Amino acid sequence: MTSESIFFQQLINGLTIGAIYALIALGYTMVYGIIQLINFAHGEIFMFGGYAGLTLLLTAGVQGPVSGAAGIFWMLCAIAAGMAGCAFLGGCVERIAYRPLRRSPKLAALITAIGVSMILQNAVMLIYGARDRYVPNPLPAIHWQLGGATLTGMQMVIICTAVVVMIALHRFIRLSLLGQAMLATAQDPLAAGLMGINIHRVIASTFVIGSSLAGMGGVLFGMYYSTINFHDGYMTGLKAFTAAVLGGIGNVPGAMAGGFLLGLLEGFGAGYVSSQWKNVFAFVVLVLLLIFRPHGLLGERVAERA
Amino acid sequence: MNKAITAVFLISGLGLGCGKTEPVIKIGFVCPLTGDQAAHGTDMLHGAELAMEEAKSAPVIEGYKLELMALDDQRSPAQAVAMAKKIVSDPSVVAVVGHLNSSCTKPASAIYNKAGLLHINPVSSNPEISRQGFNNFFRICATDDLQGPAGAHFAKERLEARRVFIIDDMTTYGRGLANEFEKAANAMGMEILGHEGIAQGEKDFTPLLTRIKGTSCDLIYYAGMFPEAAVLIKQKSDLQIPARFIGGDGLYEPTLITLATPPAAEGVYLTTLGADLHTVPTAQSFVKAYQERYGRHLGAYSGYAYEGVSLAIEAIRRSGKADRAAVLAAMKNLSSYPGILGNHTFDSKGDTAVRSIGIFTIRGGKFQFLESVE
Repeated sequence: MTSESIFFQQLINGLTIGAIYALIALGYTMVYGIIQLINFAHGEIFMFGGYAGLTLLLTAGVQGPVSGAAGIFWMLCAIAAGMAGCAFLGGCVERIAYRPLRRSPKLAALITAIGVSMILQNAVMLIYGARDRYVPNPLPAIHWQLGGATLTGMQMVIICTAVVVMIALHRFIRLSLLGQAMLATAQDPLAAGLMGINIHRVIASTFVIGSSLAGMGGVLFGMYYSTINFHDGYMTGLKAFTAAVLGGIGNVPGAMAGGFLLGLLEGFGAGYVSSQWKNVFAFVVLVLLLIFRPHGLLGERVAERA
Repeated sequence: MNKAITAVFLISGLGLGCGKTEPVIKIGFVCPLTGDQAAHGTDMLHGAELAMEEAKSAPVIEGYKLELMALDDQRSPAQAVAMAKKIVSDPSVVAVVGHLNSSCTKPASAIYNKAGLLHINPVSSNPEISRQGFNNFFRICATDDLQGPAGAHFAKERLEARRVFIIDDMTTYGRGLANEFEKAANAMGMEILGHEGIAQGEKDFTPLLTRIKGTSCDLIYYAGMFPEAAVLIKQKSDLQIPARFIGGDGLYEPTLITLATPPAAEGVYLTTLGADLHTVPTAQSFVKAYQERYGRHLGAYSGYAYEGVSLAIEAIRRSGKADRAAVLAAMKNLSSYPGILGNHTFDSKGDTAVRSIGIFTIRGGKFQFLESVE
């Protein structure tokens, strides 16, 4: 392999994991934007998405690649199952754990989030067992050769999905009525309420949308790495949170940019310097960025959040 | 973990419930029963239970009831230390068999040593553990100062590897084994293109593998456990890296093949701590009993756990007393022990003389035994 093709391959590697970080980071950033809560349970919701997709595939009897359109069909079904499962779970978490604390100090909600994260992790461990589970990928293995580098069909799916989802979400927030309500609630919940916006419903929708995106990420993650484990949500969630902060927490395109940036940093750091220090690169850059740009890459002090 | 503890409590509770209480002596048994290495841990517990069952036929010490105190260390050194403290604080425990991971065994061994408790280690192969000068430590498996060189020798002679890239999981076991391999490979004249670490629990190794793809490497050596190895093997195949893959005993678990997918795992080589038990004449009764009872693959370490617990029972039986010092003394006086793995005699460090390394490959989605090296 020439050094150019290695560079290109590292770029593909970084973009793929970055796309997954970005999908999860969207949920962190939306929730933070609207109620200034760092939802630490979000990583676990992502992990649950992987299991929900796995459950569907096992119920349907999908063991491995399925040729033709059926493969794409089962993949879409698994993603839908992951999204639906996580949307439901995210909605429940908001209703049960966070809504009663809406008027409490922010710290109470934050600690609750950590508690919810532990509950979900252990619940999944009890339901699905503690071992790594094999996640079949119904999409047939496709390899494209691009300038000496290999791009797999799955990598293509992950990167494209993340980009499409981000653009759609951005449009949705700008153009739809619910999106406008989100922006209004983010700016001033009290005033939004006085204007007749049902802020509880708006906040619940934010959780549901963010969680379903995490669920999508979870299914893609499981299929891409072909394994899922109950503690996968922890580190990946932390990285995605880092991505959200990198991009400017509360900012949707920022979460996307932060995710890709983090993925590339890790990829190039591990590929060109040392894989032992993989996590160090990501966090060193985070620290530097926060020193020089405390509001992240695209974050602004009083920007329209959500 | 909680399940295991509850089970232990329940069992001891039942014992107390019966009108006449029989005094209890216990053998502590610790391995990862939950977490990503639970597959290994469950096999070990099965082996230990089988040994306990066989001891039931005759009382080990007249008037005492023998119990297994099974605990979970979650392959975490911190948890291992907590469990070790729990074991030494229970006066009815007279011996401990335990820990899968070297990174757990090493800190825990210091606690057992302080308590003067007989510590039999089934499978932690890091050579440093027995060099701590602990007189209560006995180990029944081969160590990595044999396993590493055996892997290097096989790689050079049979696989004709010349340029090697070494990866380990930065644990006591992984780093130790990788260093032994590197030393031996260097001495044999193989070129070491790099030696890198990965973190346990990590899933994305494509940046490192891409870097390896850019070298002229013809063999990747991995020292670590199966969950990470499976992902490495899968991603190596996705990236179409032509180099061969060889690993240590941590890979010897059928889950590896499921997680990595059989086509990707085809042609992977691994070294193990001893020959395939199916081919060892003295192990046949164990193999039969295990398969009758559990109906599944032996796994890498079930036989070692069985051997460790059987040996502990033998030491207790010989001591004839429910006393830690007496049991330890009886173990030290044991000149040899005919086990299923071979005839154990222990050197001054507590390491057994039964030290062979097995070599396996994966063919058609199954482990296939190739040879064993003494």
